[in-house]
Order: sequence, then structure tokens, then C-alpha cells
Amino acid sequence: MPDLAFLAFLVVDGALAGAIYALAALAFVVVYKASRMINFAVGEWIMLASRMVASGLHGFGFGLGGALGLACVGMVALAMAFNRVVLRRLFGQSLLSSIMVTIGLGILLRGSAAIVFAGIPPRITSPVPLEPLVIRGVPVSIDKLVAAMIAGACIIGLGWFFHGSRTGLALRAIAIDQQVAMAVGIDLHRHFAIAWALVGVLSVLAGTLGSVVLGGGFGIGLLGLKVFPIVIVGGLDSLLGTIVGALVIGILESLTAGYIDPLVGGGFSHVAPYVVLIATLLVRPYGLFGRPDVERV
Amino acid sequence: MNVPALLEIEDLHVSYGRIRAVQGVSLTVPDAAIVALIGANGAGKSTLLRAISGIVRPRRGAVRFLGEDLVGLPVHQIARRHVIHVPEGRGMLARMTVLENLRLGGFARSGHASTALELDRVFALFPVLSQRRGQLAGSLSGGEQQMLAIARGMMARPRLLMLDEPSLGLAPLLVREIFRIIPRLTAEGTAVLLVEQNARMALQCAAHAYVLQTGRVVLSGPAADLLATPEVQRAYLGAG
Repeated sequence: MPDLAFLAFLVVDGALAGAIYALAALAFVVVYKASRMINFAVGEWIMLASRMVASGLHGFGFGLGGALGLACVGMVALAMAFNRVVLRRLFGQSLLSSIMVTIGLGILLRGSAAIVFAGIPPRITSPVPLEPLVIRGVPVSIDKLVAAMIAGACIIGLGWFFHGSRTGLALRAIAIDQQVAMAVGIDLHRHFAIAWALVGVLSVLAGTLGSVVLGGGFGIGLLGLKVFPIVIVGGLDSLLGTIVGALVIGILESLTAGYIDPLVGGGFSHVAPYVVLIATLLVRPYGLFGRPDVERV
Repeated sequence: MNVPALLEIEDLHVSYGRIRAVQGVSLTVPDAAIVALIGANGAGKSTLLRAISGIVRPRRGAVRFLGEDLVGLPVHQIARRHVIHVPEGRGMLARMTVLENLRLGGFARSGHASTALELDRVFALFPVLSQRRGQLAGSLSGGEQQMLAIARGMMARPRLLMLDEPSLGLAPLLVREIFRIIPRLTAEGTAVLLVEQNARMALQCAAHAYVLQTGRVVLSGPAADLLATPEVQRAYLGAG
């Protein structure tokens, strides 16, 4: 492959992976935006969702649509239960305790998934042809392209939801000031439940697309680890920043995998996002698109 | 008074820890009337409003709105009964636009359909906001922000609007502008419970007034009568 075509391949491939990362990162940002809560278990949520889809396919013999539906129901139920049983009790306490609880939930999910889904293959296979499309000498894998398009559509839908709908407006208001939100008549707990339900659905989408493209199993939980460099680079509460951050991290991984890994014997592409994470924290701690908190006094 | 009461507060006590902020206040707000609550800093005026809107829970007493006791209801439920609190410092969402802030104000109403109608009504009261609708609330001047705060409250079609220090930090011209608008709110069927340090302006626009001192009502009556009372003149109007 000529040099330029190789570069183009790496950039396109990275961007397509980035679109899937963006979905995973949005699952994180949705909750952060609504309640300033950091969900450290986002990787486990995605892993669990992908295992639910795989069980629908291999365990119950459903089609892809049925398996996705099953997983959505399961994940939304988990989200509602977690919000209702655990988070609601911690409301008004230090935010730190809610954050610690997500770590605990993550460990619980990882452990129990290994037991519950034992013997069910985790793979989700692509329903589209695997032969890559070649555009001007640059190979583009079709399953990644389709996955990225689905991710893009979901992101646009989410953008409309936050900026065009009444519920989205309420969620944004809660994110800015809970006191004000209550004072205009917004039921906080109802909207927290909606935000968590969204996390459930986004986890199903990210988990499925991630499994198809990146391979299933427990490795999919690693998607959760990629979320942190993405949201730090993009700014924790900016939808646009999250998308740009995800693309940057996806392309960065791909480029380092193509150019640097062969030189150092592999593995640097996994580290590169965290190098960027640390660099961002040093230079712009509120992210590329986040705003430093400014208050009118 | 033979006018039916919209809000009736009976023997209300509110404490913050061991500090007794409100000690046995009783007051009445008639439908579509302006009632002023005046008093020095720390007299318990803001606390009283916070107790009515459910932000703090009273230790004892009743807050009856149209006969229903509001004590113990969550804040958003009280707002949905069209009892709207415009806090001191205005509570603007600075990073949202004027229009978004107003739309949020309409949240307390259950129907969505009339939001456009409500916006027209509010823009008629505050024409300046209509010109600024796409701007971020944080970029408005202090006076415009106060108007936005009141306008957002009016979006809920409140039966009772509680304004906490609407004149705070505003230039005299803007203070007059705000006090010119407040009486027009009652024409929309809204009663106003007005907390003010600017006692003269408040008493001039209110029908009825209460004077609070260290958490207790020390004087009450028709606002015009209080305006003429020597104690009020000495303590709150700066007359010799």
C-alpha cells in the first residue's frame, strides 16, 4: 500500500472506531450532565449489554432485532432499579459515595456476568458482508462503516433530544442547577431515571456495535476505559466535545498502531490515549470544549 | 378581610439548627393582591419564602394554599400548584438562552400546547426580553436578568408569585421599572408576595404589608397605613 493510502486507511479506520467510542462516551456523559455523577462502571454496563444481546442471539435463538429489544428491556430495568434502589437513597449525600457505588456495581456486574452468561458465546456477528470496500485504493471495512453510521444517527438523535425536546431541556437545567430545576417544577428523580434509562439503551448500542467491530467478550469492557481520555479531552459535559474527543482518540489509536507499534514492538497504541489524557489535564483541565466555571458575582 | 384567602400561613416556625429564623408567623395573601413583607436583613423574610416553596421544612405550623397544606410537599410539587418562588439573586441559568429559561418556566404547567401563547403574554409584559430571546441569560444586564427571572416565573401562570428582593443591586431607574411592572402582574390573576428592603417602593405598590423583626410579625395592616406609621418611617424609611 502506498504511504498516503496507508495514512488514509489509518485515519478512516480510526474515525470509524471513534464513532463507536463516541456512543460509549455518551453513555457516560448523559449521567454526568444530569447529576454530576461519574459512572466508573460504564465499561461493565456496555459489557453486560453486549452479553445480553449475545444471549438473545445464541441462548434464546432470537434474531438481531429481538436480541436488541431483549437487551434494551434488560438494561433499562437494571438502570431503573439501580437509580431507584441505590442512588435515590444516596441523594443529598456526598457525590463521592454515589461515585464509589458505581465502582462497586461494576465489580458486581463483572463477577455475576461471568456466572450468569457462562457457556453462552459472547460474539455478535455482523449481518453485512465482510469484504472491505476499496475507495481510491483505501480499504474501508463495511461493518465498521455501517456501525459508524448507526452511531452517528444515534448521536444526532441524542443531540436533538437534549436541545430540542422538553425532557432534554429539563435534563440540561438539572445539570446546571438542581435548585432552580426544582423551583420551576421539574421532578429530579423522574429525570434521573430517564437519564439512567438512556445509559441502558446507549450501552446496548455501544456494546453491540463494539462487539461486531472490535470483537465481543470481556474485552468489550475495555471500551469503558477509553471513555475517560475521550471525556477529558472533549470536556465532561459537552456533547460536541465528546464526539470530537472520541474521533481524536480513535484516530490517534489507529495512527500509533500503524506507525509506532511496529517500531516499539506493539502496545503503544493502547497507551497513547492516556498520554493525551495527562497532557490535556496539564494544559486545559476543563477539556477542549468544556468551559472553566465562570460565575457572575 | 372578607376577600377569600389564597395563601394562609398559620403559626409558622422555621429553624436552621439552633437558630430560630421564623418564630410563629401568621399571614394571609388574598387572591390577585400584592402583599409586601418588609424588615431588616436577617428578619426571616427569605426564610419564610423558602418555607412556603418547600426548600426548607418548617418545624411547626401550616402553609395553606387554597385550603391545602403545602408543608412536606416536594419543591417541584409546590411549583406545579402554581406557587412560584423567584429567589434572591434571581437563579438564572446563565448558560442557557433567554428563550430556554422562559420555556423552563413553563414546566410547572402540565399542558405543552400553550407555551407559545404564554410566551406572547410574557413578551408583552417584558418587550426587552423578546429582543433578547436568543441571547445567553448570563449576558443580560442586571435589570434584564431580574425581568427574566420574573418573566420565567410568570410562564408558569402562577396563582402566587413570591419575589425575593427584586430591586437588589439595580440602578434607581430600573428599580422604578420593576415596580411599574409588578402591579401589572396582578391583572393576570397572579397574587404577589413581595419581600423587599426598599420599603418605600414596596409599601407604595402593595395593598397589605407585614413588618418582620427577628422572625416575628411586629406590625401589619394596609400598606398605606403602615407607610404613615411613625415606627415604620423611623426604622425603614429613613425619616428622622
